[in-house]
Amino acid sequence: MNCLQAEEYFSAHLEDTLDYQMLQDFEGHLATCETCQLEYARFQESVKTVQQLPQIEPSPHFMAALQQRLDAEQRETDSVKETGKINWTQLLDLFRRPKWVFRGAIALILAAAGIYFSQYASLFDQDPRPAQVAPISQTEQATTSPERPRIELPRFVRGSSQLIPNGAISTPAQPMQQRYMLKQVSYTTTSTSGGL
Amino acid sequence: MPDLDDELMERYQKGDENAFTLLVRRHQQPLVNFIARFINDRDSAEDLAQETFIRIFKASDRYKSEGAHFKTWMYHIASNLCKNELRNRGRRDRYRVDNVVNSGSDSEGDTEQIDLIANTPANPVFQPEVALERKELRNAIQKAITELPEQYRLPLVLRDLQGLSYDEISEVLELRSGTTKSRINRARLMLKEKLKPFI
Repeated sequence: MNCLQAEEYFSAHLEDTLDYQMLQDFEGHLATCETCQLEYARFQESVKTVQQLPQIEPSPHFMAALQQRLDAEQRETDSVKETGKINWTQLLDLFRRPKWVFRGAIALILAAAGIYFSQYASLFDQDPRPAQVAPISQTEQATTSPERPRIELPRFVRGSSQLIPNGAISTPAQPMQQRYMLKQVSYTTTSTSGGL
Repeated sequence: MPDLDDELMERYQKGDENAFTLLVRRHQQPLVNFIARFINDRDSAEDLAQETFIRIFKASDRYKSEGAHFKTWMYHIASNLCKNELRNRGRRDRYRVDNVVNSGSDSEGDTEQIDLIANTPANPVFQPEVALERKELRNAIQKAITELPEQYRLPLVLRDLQGLSYDEISEVLELRSGTTKSRINRARLMLKEKLKPFI
C-alpha cells in the first residue's frame, strides 16, 4: 500500500469498517510512514472538530411562522376547491411525479409513434397504379362458366414496384456490379483516347 | 416495524392534525442546523426549513411508509431546496460583484458567518482569549465547509453534522453506497487541508 492508497482508507479506519486484510495493509503502511501517521492524526483531529460544531437552533417564532404559512396554504387550497379555478401549484406537482411515470409515458408515446409510422411506411410500399387484370387464357375461358367469368387478380410481390401476373418470376432490373463495370470501361476508353 | 415518524405521518394522513405538529417539533432543529451549515445563512435556513415542511404537508397524501424513510425524504426535499437557493444566489451574485468589491469592507459571506457563530449557544466558561480562539476556529471550519464543492459538502454535512448513516445519505442523495463513502472521505481530506493552519 502506498500513501495515496492509504489516504483512501482514512475514513474507513476511523469508523472501524475495514476488513481484516485491509486493516493489516493500512496499519502496516502507517507503521512505516511518518508522513501518513501525521496526516492521519490531522485527519482525525479535523473530523472531530467538525463534529463538535455547535447545533444551530431555530428562532423561537419558527413554529408560529410556519403555522401562518401552512394556514395560508390551506386557505389557498380550499379557495381553489370552491371556485374550481386551475391550481397552478397542483399542476406543477404533476411534473414532480416519480420517474417511472415519465418513463411509462415516453414508452407509450414511442410505441404509438412506432405503430403510426409503420402503417404510414406500408402505404409507400403499395403500388399507386391501378391493379391490372390478367388476361384469361382460352382454356380457362372454356372451363369457367359463361355467366360469371373468373378473374385472377395479379399478385403483389413485396420489394418490387411491379405487379407480376401469376407464375411469373421477378428479376432485378439492373445489377449493381454490372453498372459499375460499364462505367469502368467507358472511363478506360476516354482516358486512352484523350490522354492527360 | 414502522418508526415513529412513519407512524406520525400515517396518523396525519388519517386526519390527526397534532401528528404533523409533532413531526415538525421533532425535526425543526436538525433541519435548520443542516440548512444553515450547508448554505451558511441562518435567516434563509429558517425560510427553507419552513418551505420543506410545507412541501411535506402538501405531499403528505402521497407519502408511503414502505418507500423511503421520513427522515431521508425530508432531507432529500431540503437538499433540493438548498441547491436551488444556491443556484439562484449564484445568478444574483453575478450582478452584485461590483457592489461587493467597491464596498471595501468584508464580503457579505463573512458577515453572515460571524452572525451564524454569534447565534450559537454561548460558552459557559468565560475566558475571553479562549472564547475568541474557539470563535475563530468555528469561523474557519464554517468557511472551509462553505468552500467545499457542493457534491462533497452535502454528504459531509449529512454525515458529520447531522449524524446520518451512509445508507441514509445514499438514499437522500440517490447515490451508490461506494460513491457516498468516497465523497465523504474526499470531503474530509479537503477539510483537513483547509484547516491545517488551525490544527
